[in-house]
Amino acid sequence: MSRCKTVELFYALVPLKPWRGNLIRRHVEKCPRCLAGLASREAAGSLLVQERGVNIGRPLWAEVESALVADSGGKRMKDQAFQSSVMRRWGWAVATTFLVVLVTAFLLLRDFRPERIPAATNVPPRFELEYIRVSGQPANAVVYQPQGSNLIVVWAGKNP
Amino acid sequence: MDEQELIAGCLRGRMEDFRMIVERYSAPAMALAMNILGNRDDAEDACQELFIQVFRHLKSYDKDRSFKNWIYTILYRRCLDHLKRRRRSAELVKKMGRETVMTTPANPGHSHPPRSLPSGLLEQLKAKERTALCLWANEGYTAQEISEVLRCSASTARVYLFQARKKIKNLLEQGHVSLQNG
Repeated sequence: MSRCKTVELFYALVPLKPWRGNLIRRHVEKCPRCLAGLASREAAGSLLVQERGVNIGRPLWAEVESALVADSGGKRMKDQAFQSSVMRRWGWAVATTFLVVLVTAFLLLRDFRPERIPAATNVPPRFELEYIRVSGQPANAVVYQPQGSNLIVVWAGKNP
Repeated sequence: MDEQELIAGCLRGRMEDFRMIVERYSAPAMALAMNILGNRDDAEDACQELFIQVFRHLKSYDKDRSFKNWIYTILYRRCLDHLKRRRRSAELVKKMGRETVMTTPANPGHSHPPRSLPSGLLEQLKAKERTALCLWANEGYTAQEISEVLRCSASTARVYLFQARKKIKNLLEQGHVSLQNG
């Protein structure tokens, strides 16, 4: 009796669920006097709605099925929209890549076009002699061009 | 047909198996929902949402766990959502100063369905306590099993159950008029 009162006091004093749960487990569930202060399973069950007393008024399955069908239809449409969006993105990516390749190729190839190569005609006229030989031996050569004249004089002498 | 076979069939996309699951669990689910929510219309909505959610998330069901417990956990969450929605709409109506419209609907049979639970239970017991009590009294659940549905510790579930039983005992002893069922 006094133990029940002590438990009740501790239960009221400490409003912590783990503590209270522990008190219930250790004492209340085992104490006939404390259990008498609680509603029995039968008494509680008589006040509650029971499974056998339930009659489903609405056709629950029909509603669930139609909701699921509508849901799957919406999902299919979402999937299609997603697929078309993916296709569109891929299209843009391919087109952009193609454009980049085209522009790069144009810029690269532009420098190698034939007209870009300096033509021989554009080179200023000059006199060239690769070598001069006298008696089968490289000669001692002197090239002379007077100022303001197109005349070029080449004087070659045998190397000593 | 075995429960696990039905689940496997559902996962393979067999709607017939899912229909059997709905038929098997609709009555206990409705009973629990009515005990938590207190009226039939909301309970039917909650059950419909429950089964749609079950179908969508069946892949994530852990086979080591009780299927019924899993269903009850989802249903409990759906019922809490309904209660929140109800509370919010009640607050909104209160703010708008149109309480009289809510209490005297044009079509009382539909808009204000009769409560399936004694009003004393709804007023005195919290949703968690009603859930714990219903699972204990109707299904014979232990504190541990109740804690799995409520997603709390076994100690906490024990406290909810204890408080619910104590309140009901008090109501019964006082001979509360509104405890008359129906």
